[in-house]
This record gives sequence, structure tokens and C-alpha cells, in this order.
Amino acid sequence: MNIHTYEKVWLAASMVLIVGFIATITYGAVGPGVSMISDDGGSIDPSEINDDERFEETGVTHVGGNEYEVAVLAQAWSYSPDEIEVPAGSEVTFYVTSPDVTHSFSVVGTNVNTMVVPGQVSEMTVEFDEPGEYGILCNEYCGEYHHTMEGTLSVVPEDEFDLTELSVEAPGEVESGNETTINATVSDGMQTDLETTATLEIGGEQYDEDVTIDGAGSESVEFAVDADQLGEGDHDWTVTVDGEEESGTLSVVDGANDDSGDSDGGDDDA
Amino acid sequence: MSSATERETGDRAVESDSGDIGTVRELGHDEFDPIGTLILIAIYFAILVMLWLFMYFVEFLGNGPTVVGSLATVVGLA
Amino acid sequence: MRNAYVDQFPAEARVVKSAFWSSFLALAIGGIFGLVQALHRTDVLRFIDSTDYYTVLTAHGVLLAITFTIFFLVGIFTWAVTTSLDRGVVDIRFTWSWYVMMVTGTVLVAVAIFSGFLEEPPSILGSELYADVLFTFYSPLQAHPIFYIGLVLFVVGTWLAGFDWFRTWWAWRDENADERIPLPTFMVLTTTLFWYICTLGVALSILAFLLPWSLGIVDSVNPLLTRTLFWYFGHAVVYFWLMPTYVMWYIMLPKLSGGKLFSDPLARVVFVLFLLLSTPLGIHHQYLDPGIAEGYKFIAMTNTMFLLLPSLLTAFTVVASMEHGARQRGGEGYLGWLTALPWRDPVFTGMALAGLMFAAAGFSGMINAGMNINYLVHNTWWVVGHFHLTVGTAVALTFMAAAYWFIPQVTGKELWSRSVALGQVLLWFVGMTFMSNAMHRSGLFGMPRRTAEPQYQNFDFEPAVGTVAEMDAQVALGAVLLVVSLVLFLLNMVLTSFNGTSDSIPDNTYAGTLSGPEDAPEILDNLKLWTAIAVVLVIFAYTLPLASIVESGGLFGPGIDGRQLSLGADLEPALETLREVVA
Repeated sequence: MNIHTYEKVWLAASMVLIVGFIATITYGAVGPGVSMISDDGGSIDPSEINDDERFEETGVTHVGGNEYEVAVLAQAWSYSPDEIEVPAGSEVTFYVTSPDVTHSFSVVGTNVNTMVVPGQVSEMTVEFDEPGEYGILCNEYCGEYHHTMEGTLSVVPEDEFDLTELSVEAPGEVESGNETTINATVSDGMQTDLETTATLEIGGEQYDEDVTIDGAGSESVEFAVDADQLGEGDHDWTVTVDGEEESGTLSVVDGANDDSGDSDGGDDDA
Repeated sequence: MSSATERETGDRAVESDSGDIGTVRELGHDEFDPIGTLILIAIYFAILVMLWLFMYFVEFLGNGPTVVGSLATVVGLA
Repeated sequence: MRNAYVDQFPAEARVVKSAFWSSFLALAIGGIFGLVQALHRTDVLRFIDSTDYYTVLTAHGVLLAITFTIFFLVGIFTWAVTTSLDRGVVDIRFTWSWYVMMVTGTVLVAVAIFSGFLEEPPSILGSELYADVLFTFYSPLQAHPIFYIGLVLFVVGTWLAGFDWFRTWWAWRDENADERIPLPTFMVLTTTLFWYICTLGVALSILAFLLPWSLGIVDSVNPLLTRTLFWYFGHAVVYFWLMPTYVMWYIMLPKLSGGKLFSDPLARVVFVLFLLLSTPLGIHHQYLDPGIAEGYKFIAMTNTMFLLLPSLLTAFTVVASMEHGARQRGGEGYLGWLTALPWRDPVFTGMALAGLMFAAAGFSGMINAGMNINYLVHNTWWVVGHFHLTVGTAVALTFMAAAYWFIPQVTGKELWSRSVALGQVLLWFVGMTFMSNAMHRSGLFGMPRRTAEPQYQNFDFEPAVGTVAEMDAQVALGAVLLVVSLVLFLLNMVLTSFNGTSDSIPDNTYAGTLSGPEDAPEILDNLKLWTAIAVVLVIFAYTLPLASIVESGGLFGPGIDGRQLSLGADLEPALETLREVVA
């Protein structure tokens, strides 16, 4: 072969370039620890996604410490859940799969980006250090309304984050002269115990009950309400726990009078 | 050397219309050092290296949260 | 005495001319669809429904990436083989048969795709025509069977074309036993060999899985398996488009510059490397796919990075050949010789600008090849910017520039206007500069590709530099310039065909070499050896990933039905989405 010296120089430079590129990528994997989506998530039968313990219920669960898991179903043309909230300073493992066609789960403006192929579970662990608001979009064509497939991811300050859920059972009406109760069930999605205060506001009065909930448990709080104290008429109430809020209306009706108004109990979940 | 090369390239090759494209001299393999090419390609090399470093370390590693693996797997399934 | 290609090989010239015109027709339709998309996406002008955007996109992808490129390729390759071997094809009827087969395949595919514009597509073979599945036809999106049948016919047509070139070479070899394979033929044969290797993947995907599934013979597929088989083919196909471009740069550009190819041996090395490495790297399109272990992705990356080598060597050889031409034309100085190049020649300028764009594309390609940095750019508009520099400029602009030389060669008619041609190639370069740079930049903040309305309800894109509106404007402007350029090209071609035949067509020649084949080791011409190594590399790269995909998901997947996700087929989720959008 008759190769010019300059060409040999360029050949050597090209090899340096190629090896340099591979070295950089390897550094990214070893140094900052960037890891590829791989086969760790395993396979799944798309028609039996609901039977998979990861996807029985989609959304955020607390694993322990600062570790969380988020199960997401990407389907034509939405994400379930479409609003995800995790705390800053957390390490979050996403499990994403699809019951229909190929999608992606891509958090805009970050390096969190995976294909979602039916039959496979995409698993990726991400560290969220700082609070922030991100959009989520599907960047793989998935049918006519592909462009409407989106969601949001909120990374909230650690002290604003909880997995507390509140559900309130309250009667719609009570006869004057009687007592009734408004029952608040508070559940704690975190693995840690939760000490908090449940508050009922009704008829201009405020009642506080301290409550302690075991990690991953739930507790009921009972507020006794005296109809006479409220007086006849409609009374709006609100139960608040740990930032969760539920409200409704309680009607106090004349015990002798049968034609009661049909005011309803609350299910207005904030 | 260069004359042998020219024979090799055959009669359909370039010589026949070299007059049309303004050749003022013939340069054989041994008389020609592509120094301009070396300069151009060195500039290209420099651009590639700088852009690569910028893209990797600024655009990519600076682009917010990144997938760091599946360290939580064991805990998650336990 | 005129000695153009049409004078030497009148029968072959007719096939080549037909292939070129098939290619131009695809370019015309596909190119105009590109403008429709650019204006729609950027919300500059929307006159189609967003749901039809994906029909337009499918047609744009298939017509330009497959039809335009490969029809031009078979034209160039037929020219290259016959010219460099100085003999015609063995049987011109065979040559016409593969051309007709490719046309038939294209028509079937086009019918399936274009039915997407109809309110109620007709039913054939028991199901409605449908092919809104884009160029990649990822299952479980399911097209109508004639889409797959058309693709198969087209690919088999190219296989027969490859056989035709081999057969012509065998006939020549019988008469020239001791001679080296002429360089253009060598390039054609090595390219054809890796085409055979890579198309096995897509043929298997269609014939064993997708076609029986669309016909209802089997009722499920493994999406990751068909996807992997697609990319087994899907990256090599980009080198298939690129190789005729390289052929032009190696054997035409030096001559146009007034010089000779710097090195025949290195050109052979480059093509051997493409034969070896084009296929065992398709997994680099699947860096972000679940179900494929990281190690296989790393292997694909290593192969991809080493495939930079032949392109980097090409950059040197081609530029050195141009410099040789420039210096023979009297060029002086370290860089002053650049001004001695024939910049007024649209064929030269088009190819040179295409090469310059390819240098830029090389950079974004290096990013795409990098495994973990793929999180940043995967499926964003960056990727679209990248391949509009490669197939959309390096290939398309070289082909258009080459057409200014080839059409006179195969018709015997003089080009209608060289000035318009020069303006056309410059305009393409300028238009693509606007469009592609904005696409690349948009990808960096997460702007997705393949999306009719990348304007979302609940969040905004946040570019670090510039604004979304500014980048959209550049894309729209670029697309308009590109279509104006395209119209000028087609106008020149049409008006040329109305010209009378001329005696002043240059001879059919290609570039000589400074360092000829006598400097190239004989082993480079041992095609059997290189093919065997290529096959071994493919086996190494693909056996384990494919086995693990089949093991985890089954050959036919776990009960995965075909999907044609449109409002008609799947009413409820669409309405749900609409409600969400309204709310």
C-alpha cells in the first residue's frame, strides 16, 4: 500500500478520536454513573398488566428512606398517572409499560427518557436533587392523537411532600336535637410514621384532633357534631390534614319536619 | 511512477478532457503533498473535539436529572 | 464523435433514465410533503388535520428515504458497473424486470399509504387499506398487508438488481481473469453484499412475523423482536443510501475538480470497512429500548464508533483529491487553492457543499452514536436535523448535482440551464442550513420528532439560548427555500428533457487515480473473505440480544394484537383525550 504520510497522521488522529469518544462514554457510565435502560424491568404480558404487582395501582409509592417507586402506564394517548409528584432529594425508580403500542416516557429538559415497548417494562432510577416542574411527553408516534399525549412531573421541596390521603365520611343531614359524626380516614403512604393534626371546620368553629399514623398505615378520626349547636340550615364543613382537604355541607333539619332538603355530603377532594 | 498510474486508469479516464477544466500542470503522486487538506482536516478535528466536549459535559451532563441505574431494584422487590 | 453513456450503452441508458425519473417523482412528492409538515408542526400554516399529519409523514419518509434514494442508487450503480467494466449488462430484459418489480412494490406501498387521506378507505383482502405506521412500521401498529407486500417486492427488486451487477462482473471476469476489479464496480459489489446481509433482517421481520400477522394467520407479534430486526436493517440502509454518494465523491468529484482520486487502495479499504461494519451496530438505534442489556448496547456503540473511520478517511481522500485538482488548475498557497476550484460548475459545487454538510452531519452522528448521551437527543428533533444533513443533503444534494451530469449522459440532451442549476444547489445549502441547525438546537431542549403539534397544554419548552418561535421560524423558512430549490431542480430536469439532442455532451468518464489499484493489496478484492467476516461479526453482535429478546418475549410475543389507532378504530381513548384537552 502506498499511503501518504499525512494520511497516516489523519488515520492516527481518527483512531484517537474514536477511542476518545468511547472513553468519554465509559467515563459517563463509571464516573457520574449514567446507566442505560436495560432488560432489568423484565417482560410483561400487556393483557395482564393489572395482575402485575408493580402496576396494580399506578403512581408513586414510598419504598423507604429517600427511595420511591413510580409505576406508569403509557397508553394511547395519555399517561396514568398524568401528574407525578416526588420530593427533592429522592431516588426514584420508574417502571413504565404500555398496554397497546410503542410510546416513550420522556421528561422534558432532563436526561430521563425511555422507550416504552409493549411486552417490556422500562425500569430506570433517577436522582432528583432539586425541586422543579417538568413536562412529560411521548416522542414515539403512537396513533392519530400522539401529539396530545403528555403529563407533568413535579419535584417538590422535601418538607412539602407527603403521601397522605384523606377520605371523609359525613352524613348529608342531621335532625336537630341529634348528634352525628364526621369520620376522617387518614392514610400514610410513606413508610415512616406520621404525626399530624386533623382539623374540622364547621359553623365557624374549629376542632383539632392529634393523630399518629404508622408507616404505610391508616387511622380514623371521629369528630362529634351537635346539631343543636349548629342550628337549623346548611353548614359547610372542611376537614384538613397535612395539606389534604375535603369539604361538604351538612344540613340540620327540623326533626318534626319530614321534607328535608337533599344536600349532599362532601366529596370535593382538594 | 505517475506515468504507470496514468496508464492504469485507462482511456476512459480523465486525461481526455483535462483541457476543458483548466489544467495548467500535471502533478503525479510523488509531487503532490496535500498540505491544504491536512490543514482543513486539522481544523475539523479541533472543531469535533471541542463540540464533543461541550455536548457531553455541558449539554448532556448539565441537563438535569439523569438515569443512574437501578440501584433501588433490590429494595423495591423486597 | 460524441461518446456519452447513451452512445456507449443505449439500452442500459434507458433503464438508468427510468430509474432516475422514478427517483425524481418520489423526490417531488416527498419533498412537497416535507414542506407541509414543516409549516404544520411550527404552526405557521395548518391546512391539513393533525391526524392526517402522520399520513403525510409516512409518505415523506418512505418516498424519500426508500424510493428516491434507492431508485437513484440503482441508476448510478448500473452506470458505474457498465462504465467501469466497459460492457453492458448480460441480459437487458432481466434488468428491466427488477426495475418493474421495484416500481410495482412502490406503487403497492404508495396505495396503502395514500389511502390514509380517504374518509373511508376501500377494503382489500378483507381489511381496510391503512399504512399510517411511518417509515419504521413498529408493531403493534399494523399496516394493511399490501404495505408489507409492496415493501417485500421492492426489496426483492433490489436483490435482483444486485444479482444483475454481480452477473455483469462475473461475465467480465471470465474475459479479464487477471485484472483488478475496477474501483467503481468494487464499490458497487461491496455495497450490494452488505445490502444482502442487512435486508435479511427486514425480510425476516416482514415475511415471518408482520405479514402473516396482518393477514390474520398468526395473532400476535413480539414488538421488541420486530423492532430489533428492523434496526438490524435500519442502520445499514442509511449506508446503502450513502454509498452511491461516496461513489460520486470518489470517482466524479476528483475529475470535476480537475484532478485525480488521491488513493485507490484507501477507497477500497473504506468500502471493505462498510461491508464489515454496516450491520452489526443497528442496536445503537435502540439505546433507550427496554429488554436489551446494556452490554449489547455498548458493543453496538463500539462498532458504530469504528465505522466513523471509513468516513473520516473518506473526508481526507476526497478533500485531497479536490486539492490535487485545484493545484493542477494553478491553485497555490495553504488554502488559496480553494479558490481555484470550479465553483461555477453546479455538479462540482453541489457535491462539494453536500460534502461540507456531511462533515457537520458527522458531528451530530457522533453524538447519536454515543451510548449514554442518547438520553439527551433520542427521538428529539436533533435526530431529524441529523438525517436531513445526511440523507437530506449529503445524499440528496449529491444526487441532484449528479443528475446535472447524468441526465445529459443518459439522454444525449444538454442541460437546460447551468446557472439555474448552480442557484439551485446553493439554495438547497442555505435552506438546509436554516432548517437543520434549528432542528438540532430544538432537540437539545427536548422538542420531539414525529409530532404534529409539538405545543403542549401543561408545559413549555425552555431553550437555553434563543426561543422556540425563532427556531420554528428558521425551520419554516428553511423548508420553503428547500422546496423552491426542489422546484428549480425538477424544472431544469423537465425542460432538459424537452431539449433536442446535442453533440456537445462530454464523454462518459470518471476520475483517474494518483495511487492506483496496483498499490492495493490483492486481498482487498477477496469479496468472499470480507463477506464471511461480515457475517461472523453480525452473528457475534446479534445472536445473544436476539436470543434474549425471544426468550423473554417469545417469538410471537405474549398476546399482542395489531393496532390501528385512529378515532374510528379506537374511539374511546381519543374522546377521553379530547375531553382532557378541552378541560
